[in-house]
Amino acid sequence: MSSHPSQEYAIHTQGLTRKYGEVEALVDLHLSVPYGSIFGYLGRNGAGKTTTIRLLTGLAQATSGRAWVAGHEISITDQPSKNKVGYLPQEPGLYPWMKGREFLIYIARLLSIPPREIQDQVDRALELTNLTPAAHRKIGGYSGGMKQRLSIAQAMLGNPSILILDEPTSSLDPAGRQELLDTLAAMRKQVTVFLSSHILADIERICDTIAVLHEGRLMLTSSREQLFSQYPVFAASLELEADFIAPQAFLDELGERPWVERVARRGQNITILAKDVPQGKTELLPMIVKHAIRIDKYEWIRPSLEEIFLKISK
Amino acid sequence: MIPLAYLLSILGMVLVPIVLAVILRRNYRVYWILFVVGTLTFIGSQVVHLPLNRWLVSIGLLPKTLQPDGASLWRTAVILGLSAGVCEELARAIGYALVKWARRFEDGIMLGLGHGGIEAMLFGGVLTASTISTLLNLGGVDLDTLNLSAAQLEILSLQRQLFSTSPLYAMAPFIERVLAISAQVTLSIIVLQAFKRNKMLFFLAAVGYHAMLDSVAVYIGISTNQLWTTWLALVILLLPAWLWLIRLWRARNSELALMGEKSPSPPPLGWSLRLFLANSRKEILYLWRTRRVLIVCAVFFLFGIISPLLTKFTPQLLGSLEGAEIFADLIPEMTVIDSLNSHIETVTQFGFIVVILVGMGAVAGEKERGTAGVVLSKPLSRSIFITSKFTSQVLLYLLGFVITCAAGYYYNIVLFGMLDLSIFLVINCLLLLWVLVFTSVTILGSTLGNSTGAAAGLALAGSLILIISGSIPNIGALLPSGLLAWCYQIAEGSLDFSSNWGSAALGLVILLLALVAALGVFERQELQ
Repeated sequence: MSSHPSQEYAIHTQGLTRKYGEVEALVDLHLSVPYGSIFGYLGRNGAGKTTTIRLLTGLAQATSGRAWVAGHEISITDQPSKNKVGYLPQEPGLYPWMKGREFLIYIARLLSIPPREIQDQVDRALELTNLTPAAHRKIGGYSGGMKQRLSIAQAMLGNPSILILDEPTSSLDPAGRQELLDTLAAMRKQVTVFLSSHILADIERICDTIAVLHEGRLMLTSSREQLFSQYPVFAASLELEADFIAPQAFLDELGERPWVERVARRGQNITILAKDVPQGKTELLPMIVKHAIRIDKYEWIRPSLEEIFLKISK
Repeated sequence: MIPLAYLLSILGMVLVPIVLAVILRRNYRVYWILFVVGTLTFIGSQVVHLPLNRWLVSIGLLPKTLQPDGASLWRTAVILGLSAGVCEELARAIGYALVKWARRFEDGIMLGLGHGGIEAMLFGGVLTASTISTLLNLGGVDLDTLNLSAAQLEILSLQRQLFSTSPLYAMAPFIERVLAISAQVTLSIIVLQAFKRNKMLFFLAAVGYHAMLDSVAVYIGISTNQLWTTWLALVILLLPAWLWLIRLWRARNSELALMGEKSPSPPPLGWSLRLFLANSRKEILYLWRTRRVLIVCAVFFLFGIISPLLTKFTPQLLGSLEGAEIFADLIPEMTVIDSLNSHIETVTQFGFIVVILVGMGAVAGEKERGTAGVVLSKPLSRSIFITSKFTSQVLLYLLGFVITCAAGYYYNIVLFGMLDLSIFLVINCLLLLWVLVFTSVTILGSTLGNSTGAAAGLALAGSLILIISGSIPNIGALLPSGLLAWCYQIAEGSLDFSSNWGSAALGLVILLLALVAALGVFERQELQ
């Protein structure tokens, strides 16, 4: 007998809808996030990402539909299973009058972490987020990045099996961003990460499943590999040597070839959009040799996640 | 012994509806707002029901007083039953129409508990408290010396006999209210069926059933004057409905089982208690770190010393001012009674402002900063979030009043030579209750407001309404202002602890309802 999907997936929603009067913030969302995956949740501003996260964390009430997190139906009422979920909001909500360490101890108590483990877990979270030196300072005196890191620390306390992160890298410096992404990537298979972000490079780098939301509607859910296989190699990119000027004859011949759709020039870069990629792969290199084109780089490229995202959410 | 039995009965009538609602909420995740809706449907129904009955009396359809005389009593009982049935069920139906999302069996129970609960609190708890304190005050008074009509004297002497009966008799109003609550819950479920099944017939059945229950209760109650007979008749009439409710409940369980769903098990009590303690601890730390504890302690210390100092030294201060010596002679010699009166005035004039300033940001501030969203994404429930905030503030004001009592008692003794400690303690206990009523109103304002400024405005508006409504004839004496009148009475030297139980009971009711309303509103709010 097969179990209910809510038990099979870390996060599962059925027709989740949230309306604000006439405005449809989220419409009929059917989503299944496998256990152990790093799930990238993409969408433009106002697409409904934060609304989804609020519904999944029990901070908002769905107009219709249902949602399960860690096998438990999410409700705005008491939810003991919430200690399996770590949540990082878009804006770090912290008490300025508390000290960093005090705040984490308070959160640990809310998560019912046994008292003998609280110190260890708090120390580990502080270390992980490089906040140990500032642990005894008031949060009110923290910088924006430190607040974001403390917020990440509270989300990771109690070893949650699911992490719901809303724009986690937005206020971090490049080093902090790199560290966080490495930490999340290292959690793959052990922890389910539901990651909403505008920074597509982050999503492209660590997510194994990607969903795109547009105007409250889910446009696409796919594994990273599948997504890129749907948008295969489509162009050749040439980077010419610094002083080299491409002969007009080469460009004219390219334009006449039947496998070429369009040729675009930008500084020392030439991008050749192909209608027939295999034919292009056969003919392009001999042409380069024939016209003695001096190149630094030659590669066949696929669309970036940004280009796919823009195409889907157009 | 008998006053204590009545005190228990009154507390039962005020607290039992809340306790039942807490159990329902914990076990079946029913929203608190339905209790509030039930409360409002009852209050709304009475806004129409009471004037309607007065109008029926004015046109002669109802008698001015109920008399146990056969045929006309039946007619009176039926008209009274019908007016109650139509008004209350209509209000209940409007309530259901407003909460379209509440169509579960347990939702109906919660709405019924709110409706029957406020009825028990007001018509049971507050009314009994008011009556008992009046009777206690008349304990040693010769009734013939009072300017009362023969009918009033007869009722009064009958009521005074309550104190020569068994203490168990004090439980009578409580038992009656429990029966009434069960009837209200039953009627609430019947009206719910009208919406669930889209059949008007259930609404008409509820009106008819309500009318029948009330008619029988009035007829048997007046004609036999025997409580047991009335209760027995009500139980017999309610029994078929209760059996029907059990059937509906079983059908609901089977339906859930068919859908493969089960009611979530309630969180363990110990676990909830640990979360409550963890959050209360944080709230106390917040009050400490933000200097609120120090400010409240300083202000309450001033409350304690300023009245005896000013009372004692005002004539001397005036006398020392050049040209004002003449006024000093006009001021009579000040006593400890003047000092106590001044103390009550000081606490009430500034007390509620302190309460608003301390509590206005309690919930609104957390919503504004986004901290509420972070902590409520953890297993902390919204109920615990609100109640721990209230508890920490109760502890703060308790500390404030301990300081006031210590400082005030010392200064009064030093300056006036004498003060009955019990009098001073009772006055401050009543003032504490008065302050706590405003604390819960402020928490409600803070929950309703989305910013600290808006919360302050709402809390101030609510507090002013409470203060101003103290001057409404008849009702005013029962509102928190009645507590102050009681304080002044005690200050005058008459150590009468039974003066106005009604205002204390209503104070407790307002406090509880404001908290429940805050829970109800907060549970439905979307957080950042």
